[in-house]
Amino acid sequence: MLGPSLAAWALFVFVPLGLAAYESLFAWDMLTDPVYVGGANYAAIAESGELGRILGRTLGFSVLVVSGSMALGLGLALLLDRPGRFFAFVRGAIFSAYVVSWVAVALLWVLLLDPDRGVAAALLRAFGLPRVGFLTDPHAALVTLAAVTIWKITGYAMVVFLAGLRSVPQSLHEAASLDGAGPIARFRWVTWPLLKPTAAFVATTSLIVSFQAFDVVRIMTGGGPARATTLFVYAIYEQVFMNLSVGRASALAVVYFLVLCVLAAAQLRAWRSQTVGRRA
Amino acid sequence: MSLSRRSFALGASLAAVGGVAGCKRAVRDDKGRIRLRLWFSLGGRNREVLLEIVKRFHATQDEIHVEPVYQGDYFESLAKLRTAIAAKAAPALSHVVAEVVPYLARASTLEPLDGYPGMKEIPFVAALAQSGGFRGGGERPLYGIPLNRSTPLMYCNGDIFAKEGLRPPTTWKDLVDTAKTLTRPGTRWGHEVPISWWFWVALVGQAGGVVFDEAGRATLGDEAGVRALRLWQDLVHRDKAMRPPPGRDYDAWNVVNQDFLGGRAAFIWTSTAYIRYLEDNAKFPVVAAPLPRDVRASVPTGGTFFVVVKQAPDEEKVAAARFLRFFCEAEQAAYLSTRTGYLPITTPAAAKMRADGFFAKHPNDDVAQAQLAHVDPWPWEPLLFRIERDIVDPRLEEAVLLDRDASSVLAEARALAARPG
Amino acid sequence: MSLRSRRPGLLVSLLAAVAAAVWILPYAWMVVTSLKPLDEIAQDPTAPFPKHPQLDAYREVFDLVPVGRYLLVSLAVAVAIGVLQLALALPAGYALAKLHFVGKKTAFALVVACLLVPAQVTFVSVFLMFSKLSLTNTFSALVLPFAASALGTYLVRQALLSVPDEIIEAARLDGASELTIIYRILGPLLRPTLVSVFLVSFVFHYSDYFWPLVMTTDDTVRTLPLGIALLKEPGSGVRWHVVMAGNVLLSLPVLALFAIAQKHLIRGVAGRS
Repeated sequence: MLGPSLAAWALFVFVPLGLAAYESLFAWDMLTDPVYVGGANYAAIAESGELGRILGRTLGFSVLVVSGSMALGLGLALLLDRPGRFFAFVRGAIFSAYVVSWVAVALLWVLLLDPDRGVAAALLRAFGLPRVGFLTDPHAALVTLAAVTIWKITGYAMVVFLAGLRSVPQSLHEAASLDGAGPIARFRWVTWPLLKPTAAFVATTSLIVSFQAFDVVRIMTGGGPARATTLFVYAIYEQVFMNLSVGRASALAVVYFLVLCVLAAAQLRAWRSQTVGRRA
Repeated sequence: MSLSRRSFALGASLAAVGGVAGCKRAVRDDKGRIRLRLWFSLGGRNREVLLEIVKRFHATQDEIHVEPVYQGDYFESLAKLRTAIAAKAAPALSHVVAEVVPYLARASTLEPLDGYPGMKEIPFVAALAQSGGFRGGGERPLYGIPLNRSTPLMYCNGDIFAKEGLRPPTTWKDLVDTAKTLTRPGTRWGHEVPISWWFWVALVGQAGGVVFDEAGRATLGDEAGVRALRLWQDLVHRDKAMRPPPGRDYDAWNVVNQDFLGGRAAFIWTSTAYIRYLEDNAKFPVVAAPLPRDVRASVPTGGTFFVVVKQAPDEEKVAAARFLRFFCEAEQAAYLSTRTGYLPITTPAAAKMRADGFFAKHPNDDVAQAQLAHVDPWPWEPLLFRIERDIVDPRLEEAVLLDRDASSVLAEARALAARPG
Repeated sequence: MSLRSRRPGLLVSLLAAVAAAVWILPYAWMVVTSLKPLDEIAQDPTAPFPKHPQLDAYREVFDLVPVGRYLLVSLAVAVAIGVLQLALALPAGYALAKLHFVGKKTAFALVVACLLVPAQVTFVSVFLMFSKLSLTNTFSALVLPFAASALGTYLVRQALLSVPDEIIEAARLDGASELTIIYRILGPLLRPTLVSVFLVSFVFHYSDYFWPLVMTTDDTVRTLPLGIALLKEPGSGVRWHVVMAGNVLLSLPVLALFAIAQKHLIRGVAGRS
């Protein structure tokens, strides 16, 4: 019963992983013969400091995206968890961004954020604020990409939080109200403790999404300016398809996989302590 | 459990999916014409011109049908071509930036074209063809046929220069002074140029250097390279007279054009390819001038060469050669040049344009023609392109935007360039 | 909950309206820009409405890009992946939920492991494999790597855990084969889960940019997102009205699907039906 699925995974997950580890030991441009270089590919990406920078950028980006989309998603869920067509419409509007293609979203925001002719620039001017090179200033670009990503995936966090909110028993709220708890106290002592597993779920999934960010990078900045937005997946892509350096790309992919494993282990541990805590 | 039935069902569905894949591409179409696949990476006006030439080619004969496929900008398209060659899925005909031709030739992916009828006899303008565009390019088999070829050119806003009583700068010192004079903080930069390999190479040449020495070492201009980079850094950070245009690759080129057209940059460097575009869209007279000299005058060439991929079916390669001959006829070459600003690639085309009074009517194109006398050829080095894209280009951007020490940045680049891999 | 039951105050409605604006206005801008002629964009790029709205940009998209063909490829890829995923996830989830066999725990761990290895880790090697077999630029390269879905398997397993074993045993007594049980009996029972899994997969793969970009070098099986991204041409200034018209065409199908099947999609996305 599991056979076909396992075969597919073997072919497209496990064999490629092994192959990546193998290819990472060669210098190869796909056109001429590969040359065995041992650990030189790893040394090359590590010694120039590039690996550290890529990792730092990707983690920073993820932190921004996860915290931003979760905070916003939770806030919107609390705000919009009300009956009526208007609120349903707003919920739908926010979630629709999650459904639309990354390509469309990225292209749209390139236009909106154009430093001279974009709507965002016009708004800044209207409020007398200084010009910001959202996508063109090396210090701003990564934050901008994170903001666009948040815009895209907040609807997802909101929807999951809404589902979580609806599983909070009404009676608990009523009891708390009778005890004289205000909305903030009720959130702090009733809603939030029950919402924690939901939050952990959202955190995990949006971390995965943010770690795979590629489309926004490729379409909005091409990894620039001055490599400020070269995130992990884009770096791998660039190595293999722009530089035709299969070895370097494979070495990066192996490191990327190891980082994912570490993150997954950390999350699993956090999740376990969470559920244990809840049972206690 | 009926495993066999299941695996049969799975096998059948996989075969169904695979079946779409499996069928091999036919060399001829249903009308019996040879299908010539052409990958191109020209946008806007250039795309229209190329497709018009394809249309004309179809009107002259009925044995070959060109199938053009747009593949994104030069670099995107080159990435696709290289991976397609590796995957044995490349088309017979495509075009690539000049600097990558030696690499593709060394990897024996390109078809030598000397043997195809009439190819050797095409009267190319040497500086723009393989023979004069590369050091020793004439002694090698013919791999590249010039498609759209250009050099950097300086464009001045005629109104601003007239108002200030200035003339286009002719030396580096002149350039700095003019840029400073014409800068109006907050509204206008004096000078603007994409921070990219091509323009840096022009500066290196002007400062008396070469990126590769005769022995094939990537010197990156040595002291001249540093001086070139410092010129930009000083203009941007000390004199505050130049805007480093944001964006990667052609995004930055776009910004330069838009700033110039919008009056936000008084004089710019960009490709001759934009002569028509800038003239048509500017609300002021566009005055072209040769790049200023430092110890000497120098410009590199740019744009792309058609190449024919070796692994393509023979019939398709013959068809490609035939299309290329048509493309190089004076009529077509002149058409492409007059419509865009790319330089005419054959001497008859240039002569025809001169005879038709084109250069008299379009002095900017004439300036570009005259500048051809100062073309410095590229070295025929397989590593050239990798050093350009992988090592130098990103470092130039970083060095200028973040004001890094020019000499150590280039020393690092030289060290990386010397390493294999 | 009590927050919900009260009539919304002015502040709440105001905040909700702001949120709506933040998400709706960008779309509106996309449509407005696509209706502007190029010279209007050049003169006054931030004018809220086109002075002379026109559909030229759409015509141009159709001239530049074979929209119909690319759209068909996108739809076919997304449907094929969705169908294959269901076909494979049902028996796999069934085995993990209802069968007893040696190595079941390991098998389940493998499924979870696959959840954690995105295509972004393996694409270099998978590309090399496909190119060795000359299968780049084929339907197979776009579909097969996604045939088995770890998430789908996991969700099917979870849903099956709550299906009583008696149903299966009764069917076995009636002489039904395992296949009949899986596809004919359990399939319909799991309909809501399957619909959600299919929709989420469909939406993802219809819009996917990364995999088709990596696995195709020409336009034999180019998908619509790739075609639209190519509208941002190099050279003489981006023709934003054309790009936005392409964007509208690309977004309409999913937005329509979203409007029809919002509930199922949300259930699939929230992941815990």
